[in-house]
Amino acid sequence: MVIDFNNLYEMPKEMDRILEMFRNSSSVQRRNSYPMVNVAENGTGYYVDACIPGVAIEDVDLTLTARSLVIKVERKSPEGRYFRQERLAGTFQRIITLNVPVERDKVTAKSVNGILRITLPKAEDIKPRRISIEQ
Amino acid sequence: MNAQTQVSMPPTDILECEDGFHIYMDLPGIAAEDLVIDLEQNELTVQASSKYDMGEPQAMRNEFGPLSYKRVFTLSDMVDRENIKAIIKDGVLDLFLPKADSMKPRRIEIKAE
Repeated sequence: MVIDFNNLYEMPKEMDRILEMFRNSSSVQRRNSYPMVNVAENGTGYYVDACIPGVAIEDVDLTLTARSLVIKVERKSPEGRYFRQERLAGTFQRIITLNVPVERDKVTAKSVNGILRITLPKAEDIKPRRISIEQ
Repeated sequence: MNAQTQVSMPPTDILECEDGFHIYMDLPGIAAEDLVIDLEQNELTVQASSKYDMGEPQAMRNEFGPLSYKRVFTLSDMVDRENIKAIIKDGVLDLFLPKADSMKPRRIEIKAE
């Protein structure tokens, strides 16, 4: 075992750690939705960041429908004899609603350190533009 | 809104393979240079701070932000402390703790007199 409680001298320290674990677990929100996403918007497009540590890019499936982006990820767990398993495994999906049409062909996705950034440029015809007035 | 960095316990898997133990830890947004791993006697401490920033002003949805992570493990004598390896890839830390040679299964040779 990796964790052992044999050393009784360490007991007070261990107790502190267990208490700290309980304190921390309340501050870290357990969310129903997985993966966690951040969505932002500016004049030119939508930006979606999905938190998917350990997911290979080939296990990510992005689908763009008329008004939404579907992010489907598959998380695989390593083989072995588990002492503790806290990391989620399985197939998860999030749907993000987009209010305006996007340029389907210009959508890009890039993963850095387990955070996937999806860039969806807004369609040209909905972008605000100045209209010249003829005199 | 999320200016203060929270300290959280990263979700962790601990498992045993033939050659030793693996500790897998989810550390999204963490690169190798953001990570500090200390081994003091039998305590292994993993600490990291992410500099994650969405970089876009109009957030429509904000479910995660920059986080600080900390987790302490107690190692047993079974672990070969000299050969612990740490690899971080795609936001997952893989700590490999090999079993000490004295703990590996072996066949005992019998000598005939």
